[in-house]
Parts: sequence; C-alpha cells; structure tokens
Amino acid sequence: MKSFFRMTYPYILWIALFVVAPMIMILLYAFTKDGGNRTLIFRFTLDNFIRFFQDPTFTKVLLTSLRIALITTVFCILIGYPAALIIANLPERLQTLMVLLLTLPMWINMLLKTYAWRGILNDFTLNSEIKVFIGMVYDFLPYMIIQIHTAIAKMDRDLLTAAYDLGANRWKTFLKVTLPLSVPGIISGITLVFLPAVSSFVIPKLLGGGDYVLIGNLIETFFISTGDWNFGSAISLVMALIIIASMWVTRKLDRNAQTE
Amino acid sequence: MERKKKSLGFFFSRGYLLLVLLFIYLPIAYVVVFSFNSSKSLTNFTGFSLQWYENMFKDRTMLESIRTTVVVAVIATAVSTVIGTVTAIGLSKARPLIRAMVLETNNLPVLNPDIVTAIGMMLLFIVPGVQLSMTTLVIAHITFCTPYVILTIMPKLRQLDDNVAEAAMDLGASPFKALTKVILPQIYPAILSGALIAFSMSFDDFVISFFTAGVGINNISMYVYSMKRYNPSVNALSTLIVVVVTLILVLVNVIPHFRDKKIKREDPET
Amino acid sequence: MTKQNQKPNKNLLIAVVAVLAVLILLALFVWPGFLKGAPKRELNVYNWGEYIDKNVLTAFEQANDVKINYSLFSSNEEMYTKLMSGASYDVIIPSDYMIERLIKEGKLQKLDKKVVTNLDNLTDGVLNMAYDPDNSYSVPYLWQTVGIVYDTTKISEKEMEAQGFEAFRNPAYKGHVYMYDSERDGFMVALKALGYSANTSNRDELNAAYEWLREMDKAVAPSYVTDEVIDAMANGEKWMALVYSGDAAYILSQNPNMSYCTPYQGTNVAVDAMVIPANAANPELANQFIKFILDDENSLLISQEVGYASANKNVLAELSGPEGDYEGNVAYVPRAGYEKDEYYVDIPEDLRGLYSEMWIKVKLHE
Repeated sequence: MKSFFRMTYPYILWIALFVVAPMIMILLYAFTKDGGNRTLIFRFTLDNFIRFFQDPTFTKVLLTSLRIALITTVFCILIGYPAALIIANLPERLQTLMVLLLTLPMWINMLLKTYAWRGILNDFTLNSEIKVFIGMVYDFLPYMIIQIHTAIAKMDRDLLTAAYDLGANRWKTFLKVTLPLSVPGIISGITLVFLPAVSSFVIPKLLGGGDYVLIGNLIETFFISTGDWNFGSAISLVMALIIIASMWVTRKLDRNAQTE
Repeated sequence: MERKKKSLGFFFSRGYLLLVLLFIYLPIAYVVVFSFNSSKSLTNFTGFSLQWYENMFKDRTMLESIRTTVVVAVIATAVSTVIGTVTAIGLSKARPLIRAMVLETNNLPVLNPDIVTAIGMMLLFIVPGVQLSMTTLVIAHITFCTPYVILTIMPKLRQLDDNVAEAAMDLGASPFKALTKVILPQIYPAILSGALIAFSMSFDDFVISFFTAGVGINNISMYVYSMKRYNPSVNALSTLIVVVVTLILVLVNVIPHFRDKKIKREDPET
Repeated sequence: MTKQNQKPNKNLLIAVVAVLAVLILLALFVWPGFLKGAPKRELNVYNWGEYIDKNVLTAFEQANDVKINYSLFSSNEEMYTKLMSGASYDVIIPSDYMIERLIKEGKLQKLDKKVVTNLDNLTDGVLNMAYDPDNSYSVPYLWQTVGIVYDTTKISEKEMEAQGFEAFRNPAYKGHVYMYDSERDGFMVALKALGYSANTSNRDELNAAYEWLREMDKAVAPSYVTDEVIDAMANGEKWMALVYSGDAAYILSQNPNMSYCTPYQGTNVAVDAMVIPANAANPELANQFIKFILDDENSLLISQEVGYASANKNVLAELSGPEGDYEGNVAYVPRAGYEKDEYYVDIPEDLRGLYSEMWIKVKLHE
C-alpha cells in the first residue's frame, strides 16, 4: 500500500510550505518582544504568555469563547443529527438536492446574514445570549448536517437489513448500527464547527449588543488595532493548544466508541 | 399497519426537514426582501424600489468583486478538491502516526483565527519579496479550503472496506484502476460535499483574502466589510446569487427527470 | 445494479460541471472591460468602502485615458498592515493620525503643488493641522466631529447641551444609550469630560479616564455598537448615541426627532485626507487625481453621495445653504475653530496596548 501513501507527498509539501512555515513565524512572534509588527528581531521571552495568564480578564475571555463554541456545537449536533438522518433516508436525487440547498445559504456573506438576523430578532425581546446562539448555530449548522449526512449516506443497507432480520427493533438498530457508523461524521462535524467557532467573534459581537468580547476579537484587536503581533501570536498559540488538547480528547472518545 | 406507521413518521420527518430549511432560509429571505427597499434602512421596509439593482449594475467595483470571487472560488475549489481527495485516500493507507501528524497539521488552518492565517501567509509572501497578486490570493484560498475537503472525505474512507480494493488488485487490477473503479465511486458523495464546503469557504472569506490579494483586487466579502456606509446593493447582489444558483438547481434537477421519463416511456419494462 | 450505481454519479457530475460553467460564464459577462483593450496607464487608489461617488472615478478615467484600480479597506490599521506587504498604491485616503505615522516613517512623498493648484478650495476647519501644517503631504477629503445624536422627545436640547459628554453618566438614561465600540473614541469621551487632552500619554489621566468609563458602564449600561447604530438611531431605538457627525447628518435627515450635539467639553475632529505613498508607481497622475477630487464639481458629488462634510469650502456652503441637501441640518457642517477640539495624534504602541486592554475591561463590566 506504499504506492497509495505516495499520493500524499504533494499535499505534505504544500502544508509544509503554506501552513507550517507561516505557523513557525507566528511561533517566533509569540516568543519575542518589542518587535512590534515592523521587523522580527528574535529575542526569546515568555513575557507575552505571562501577560496573558497574569490578567484574569484574558482567561475569562478565553473561557467564554470556549463555552459559546461548545454550546453551539452541542446544539448543532442535536438539531443536525436528526436532519442528517432524515436526509439520508430520502431518495438519492433528493439527497443531492438537499445537500445543495443546505450549502446555498453559505454563499451569502456571513455579515449580511447576521445583519438580517439582527433585523429579524429586533422585534423579539430575547436575552442577548439566546440571540448569539441563534446566530452561531445558524452559521455552523449546515457543516454539521453535511458531515453527518456524508457519513451515513450510502451506508451499507445490508447491515440494516441484517439487523432487522436478526430481530433488532428500530431503536436497537439505530443504536448498534447507524450511530456507531456515523461517529466519524460527528467527529468531523465537531471539527468543522467547534474549531472555527472558538475564534469567531463577528456574530456574537453583532447579535450580543457588544456584551461579548471573545478570543477571536482579542486576537484581531492585538494584530490590527494595536499592532502588537507578539501578544496577538501568543494568545492565538494558547488558544490553539487548548483546542488541540480538547480535540485529542474527543478523538480518544471516538476510538473507544469504535472499539466497543 | 406497517404502512400507517411509516406515513406518520414520514410526515413528522418531512416536517422537521421543512423547519430546518425554514430556519436556514429565513435570513436569506430577509436579505432578498430588503434588496427591494426604497430606503437604506435594514430594519424598516419603506417601499418597493429597484434602485439598488440599478446601483449594483452601475457599480463596477462591485461587479469586479463578483468576478474575482467566482474565479478564485472555482479555481480554489477545483484544486483543493483534487489535492484533498488524493491526499485523503493516501492518508487512509498511511501508518497511524504519520496520518495523525498530517491530520493535526491539516487542522491548523481550521482552528487558527483567520487573522493568524492571514498574517502568516502575508509574511510568507513578503519575506522572500513575492508581490501580492491574484496568484497569492488563490494559493491562500487553496490552503484554507483543502483541509475542509480532507476532513469531509476522511470519515467516509474509514467506513470503506479495505478488502474490496485489495481484492480488486488481487484479481489483477492496477492500483490506479482500483482507485478509480472501486474507491472513488464509493466516496463520491463525500467528495461532492467537500467541494461544496470548499466553495462556500472561499466564497465567503474576508480576512485572509484582504491580506493576500494584490493591489486592485477585491472580492465580495472585502466589499461588504469595507463599507463605511451600508449600501443595500449588496443585498441586490446576494439576491442575484440566490436566483442564479436556484436556476441552476432547478435545471440540474429537472433535466435528468425529463430524460428518465423519456427512457421510461421508451422502455416500460424498467 | 451497476447502472443504478452509476446513474446518480453521472447526474452529480453533470450538476457540478453545469454549476461551474454557468458561474464562469457569469463571471465573464459581468467582467467590466472584458474584451475591451486595456488602457496604457493605471492608477491604484486605496480608499474606504462606499466613500466616493464612482462617477467621479469614471470621469477621471475618461479625461486622462487611464484605468483606475480601486481597492478597499475598512480601517486605518488594516490599510497600514497591508502597506507593509510592499504593495504599491498611488493615492490612499487614511485618517489624520495615520497620516502622521506614515509621514514619520517616511512612507509618503510630497505633493507636487504645481499640479495641485486648487488648495484654496479647502475650508478653514481642515487647515493648519499639526501633522501636516502646510499640506505638504496631504489634501483633506472629508471631515467630521464626534458628537451625540439624541432624541429630542426624550432629552431636551437644553438638557443635552448642558451635559455634553457627562450625559453618558446620567443614570436617568440607563438602558437607552449606544456607545461607539472604539477604544480611541471611548477614551476620548472620558478624557474630554475630565478636561484632559484626548492625546494624553499621562498614565494617571488615562487611569482616571478608565474609572470614568467604568462608572459610565454602570450608570447607563450602554450597548457597545459600531455602524449598526446609524440604522438604530434613524429608527429611534434609543435616546442617545455617540456618533460621527457625518452619520448624524444622515440620521437627522431620516428622523426629525433627532438632533446632534457637539459637546462643550471639546471633541475629536477627524479628517480623512488624500496622500501619495513613497513607493507610488505613478505619482504624476496621483497629483492630478488629487487636484481633480478637490475641484468643486467632484467634491460636491462625493459629499452628496457619502453624506459627510466636504473639505471644500464652496461645497460646504452650497450643501448647507438655502436649497442645499443639508439646509438646516445641524450635523452636516462640523464645528470648526473651537479651541477645545482636537485632532487625534498617533499614540505609541505600548499605550495602544493599554487602551485595548482597558477598553475590553470596560466592556466586560470589570
């Protein structure tokens, strides 16, 4: 199977150049001070990280971002899973149509859709947190549905038939056959929803009436308004490490579910 | 009895799907309605007018931004779908450690805030003195689109029965043939979903595009985000996108339908 | 069986190809100038979005046989970061403090006053600015003040004028206030209310301003907003809001209940001006463009389209005078010559970090 592995060489080269190399520069910025954003004079320091963890405000902002991303992800699964399941049981042509219908709104600018939500929700006296979640779930739901649907579409029908033949009822079949098979799709969905959701801030800012300062907001402020790339890089590094750790836990859970 | 049970579930599930679609299309409908507003307001509908459409077609910066967006999205989607598919298949046969390492790196563009990816890419181009241009913009888009394709295809590959491809090769099929005849047909829906997501990501990106595009290149998002005063012509533009895509969807779904009917009429046996 | 497996795939393929084909066709159709011969010269202009009348661009192109590449930015800092990539523009329209920074860093070149001969058109309010007193580098474009838009049915003019920026700490307005979500403008309000300079680098004064803002946050519990404030105030959703005078002029034109107050404590006067970067590829044409924009006729079109006050005195007089678009609109013409008003000065980087941090804490109610 070595010939198959060779197929990954172009992409490994690509990410080495366009993902890893830029990340190394960001890493250098995070461990440097006084470089501003003009030149990078590397002088090793941990000051940026100390500054982040010394001030409880920053940690609080990070925790709020993680909480919002987590709740958004959970709601996306709860709403998206049944939808994906229903779509997967439609005739094949309708399935394609549904996937396209779910994607189309993603082509309309996110800012415009969020303005629209603000207009729609304007007439309701909802608390701002609920508005934020409506906006967030709205933005990420299609990704979750598509990922789960992809995993369970074209699933081996024989498996289901076999399960029925063996006397399993609908629930049992779902729990023992469909659900385990859809786990990789859910994990993929979580990756596509949770990861970007942690650093997204435009929707909470616009729908939350300015009550939400999130980590993405913080990073953007320090990169752009303040022009302090060092601190901005350090914050994004802390955030990335926390996300990677949480994804590692998720994958561990997935592996356990698989071997069960 | 079985039938009755099914019809109840049928209505329930279709109803649920309808609700989800309503939720997803509600803001789109709102955007469309306000493209016909006679004032600049986004919350007050003051009367019907086509002035924002007129404005849009007169506004060459906006029209240029449509062209840029579409061209970049098409190229980025095509390239990232091919790279993503090939890589995902290769990775599914790789040793677990290597696979984990590549996938972890692959996640970086997804989890990094756009501004970090953007500044990183910009630095990468300016350190060796590469002038920002359409090419750097497209490279940036391919870079952040491909991870989505891989992430969409990988789960499907994990479900595949390895033995089928191996059996095909045992029976004398070349690896290439095993790939195109056995693996690709099975992961086709995942490739399509991945391509659609890549297209959407590219279509809607602002920050990364801003910092990697050359002089005089704006995409739709750059236009929308830079507006100092809200211009409802962007609603007109979105409406246009919705109409064009809907037309395509209708065509694509109606044409094969007619063809099938024709086949059926000619060959009543099937 | 095989047929069934292949059919949907084929349809999908047709679908994808059809979508791509139509999109490319569409792109070619709406490609302005497609199939037209490209003119020889190009002018790269970098400006805020929706900040010009595009007919002016077309007129300049036709008059000079040149193609304008028009790029957009949404903040001074974004524009500045992009400039560091080495991108070469011919004309940029940043704000005052950013021009100061660009001059200091040697990123601008002097104007050719033999070409830009109509500087007499400039109104007094935009002359003699500290960052460029004799307009060697920059020609003002549009300008405005920061002030308060308020609903006269809720707060009387007398009440508002007497309070000025202190209105942001009046508990009677709790829950009815919009604050503009910008650290610089937020601190300006506090510093001015305390009688300090908006450009102070004195840490004690900044801390006092921080305390002032925290009290503001408690007293009126404002919503921190950006551009959505324009629509919201035009609809009369709250009693008062911190806005730029140009946006106020629009709000007043939409809602007769609204009025505009330029606080007596003094405020920020903001000027956006045209400059030529040192690495401009076509400075000669850039100078011609700047002169063209400052002509009465074109300045008028721009101010009418954008709604902000023109830097051209003739346009200002025409639009605010009898029969003008902004006759009787108290927000259109910014206050000029008031000694407590200030332009923003570029603040050093460590102070910028402090502003950001403290502003975040204010918004988080800490």
